[in-house]
Amino acid sequence: MGPLILCGTVELDALEKRIAGLRSEIRAAKAAGDHATVRSLRAELRKTERAWDDALEPEPEPAKAPLLPVREQVHQALTLLGVPTAAKMIVTVNEAFFAGHITTSQLTSLRRDEEKSFRTSPYARPYYLCAALTSELLSPARGLLAVSTWPLPSRIIGPLSPRADFLTSATRIAEHIMRLTGAGEDASPSAYRLLTRMAQNIPGAVDGFDQADPAQVIAAAGAELAVHEESDTDERGEAARRAEQQLNEVTRLFGAGLKTARTA
Amino acid sequence: MTRLDTLRGPAAPLDHNARTIAALAVNPGCDRRALLDAAGIDKQRTATHLGYPAPFGQSPFAITRAASFDALVKANGCAHLLRLLRDTLDLSISEASYSDISDVGGSDNHQVRHTRTRALLKRAASDGEGAGTLFDHPLLKLGVAGHQVYLEPAIIAFQIEGRFHVVEIKSFAVIDDQADAGQVAAAARQSAVYVYALRALFASEGLDPDRVSHDVVLVCPKDFANHPTATLLDVRQQLAALDRQLSRLTRIDRILDELPVGITFDIEAQSPDEAAKAVSTVDARFAPECLSSCEMALFCRAEARDSGSTDMLGRTARDELGGVESIPTALGLADDSRLPSPEQTEIAEQLRYVRRIYIEAVA
Ligand code: SF4
Repeated sequence: MGPLILCGTVELDALEKRIAGLRSEIRAAKAAGDHATVRSLRAELRKTERAWDDALEPEPEPAKAPLLPVREQVHQALTLLGVPTAAKMIVTVNEAFFAGHITTSQLTSLRRDEEKSFRTSPYARPYYLCAALTSELLSPARGLLAVSTWPLPSRIIGPLSPRADFLTSATRIAEHIMRLTGAGEDASPSAYRLLTRMAQNIPGAVDGFDQADPAQVIAAAGAELAVHEESDTDERGEAARRAEQQLNEVTRLFGAGLKTARTA
Repeated sequence: MTRLDTLRGPAAPLDHNARTIAALAVNPGCDRRALLDAAGIDKQRTATHLGYPAPFGQSPFAITRAASFDALVKANGCAHLLRLLRDTLDLSISEASYSDISDVGGSDNHQVRHTRTRALLKRAASDGEGAGTLFDHPLLKLGVAGHQVYLEPAIIAFQIEGRFHVVEIKSFAVIDDQADAGQVAAAARQSAVYVYALRALFASEGLDPDRVSHDVVLVCPKDFANHPTATLLDVRQQLAALDRQLSRLTRIDRILDELPVGITFDIEAQSPDEAAKAVSTVDARFAPECLSSCEMALFCRAEARDSGSTDMLGRTARDELGGVESIPTALGLADDSRLPSPEQTEIAEQLRYVRRIYIEAVA
């Protein structure tokens, strides 16, 4: 056994014993149907497990690392972007701007869980992470997450919407970087990398392989957006009206169609 | 339940894809492959069940790599792809619409998706401006050996000024503007299948099939970075070859007519021996090329070996030996230990001649 582990062995042993003890207590409380105790024991267990992790590998904790639940981290990223977005982009934005650490796999069942929660007690939460709806069939658009409090047209995906939304999100990211620099902070290098990567696919948004300039990105994205905006807005508005008439409160958020769960 | 469903058993049918059709076209004389494919039978699993697992297959790494490159090209509303099409084909800024046909309202039923593919493409072709630019995962159908098959939709159909192109995303690298010739050739053969199927769809909708371009847009990673790049690939030659080969395939009905009644290739219900017997009732035409293109290759090779079939020698030798079916017969004719039948006299004479030269040469 290496010296590294030896030094904390006594502490680790104690923690492991405590963890095992807590687990069986939780099982007992659960069997007895005592939910309040289960909850408090669970919290205690999580704390102990974290202590075990720390004892194993004492880490200089960056004390301000946010411990927001996954859905709140996703909400934060979506609020920055303002448009229905795929999991991968949500993760990237969360990392670049909020030093968050979620993974795409944590998002796979999110929409389904939110739908379940909404069905059991509608509007119990201030917002739900929900689906974007395809303009023609009002079915959930594959792989996109949106926020329930957004106006319905912005949750509709017509043929031009993927492009329009990409341009909008590039703009929002550039604006956020400018907000940060304006407030005397600076955005992380990964935020600039993200903006540059997006800018490379927008005509006139960046010169060669330079780092993108937020103001230039906003101008270029705006110019292209102006080309698509009218037909995109029309299509979304028309579909949103149809959705208001045809869908109920659940399907309006999570989409119509037979297999809502499968396409989540 | 059709006769083909009975042959397959309860397993779900496999889709044809461009690779299987290109491979089928490489060996148009093989009824066995034509029938197994038409019935949507999993040849890989069948070969394994028979004790002859295929000597090839895509590695899981290659599959993951292909999928992640595909996702990259299509991410953010096809941002990369639009840039490439604007650069290489001068696509105008306003043409940016994208429709995904990988499901229709959450249903991935083939018939539904195919109907939708038809409707969207027809509308795009007849409405002119602004009626659609990118159509992802179009589900196409193709008549193969008198039987309609669905094609795995691994492409994007793309319209520019009334002309349609097939966009194929491949994960092999283009380095200094050069790509591996073998991989490009394979990509061209596969893309040709999609062009062919897209043209067939146009024709059946009363649209001019020539509006589907023979120039395919091939998207690959550039150099060693993962940055996508696009090139145009002219597949006219591959189209002509495909057309010729598809027309040479035996009709599936005829193959079915010759099968014994009640036969099935269901591997769940049969022992390896029984299944092997069933598979053997359908004529095969083994050629060394099979080893790189057909999952059944090791089984068929063993079978050809056991029967001493001249197929083992490859297509050229087999054709030269016209009328002589097995290697022992050919050897017998050559050393005079076997009497040629009237139609074999000519080939027998040639074989004896070759044998004389061979003996002189090695003596
Ligand atoms: S391996 Fe067998 S089944 Fe496949 S093409 Fe060759 S002969 Fe036909």
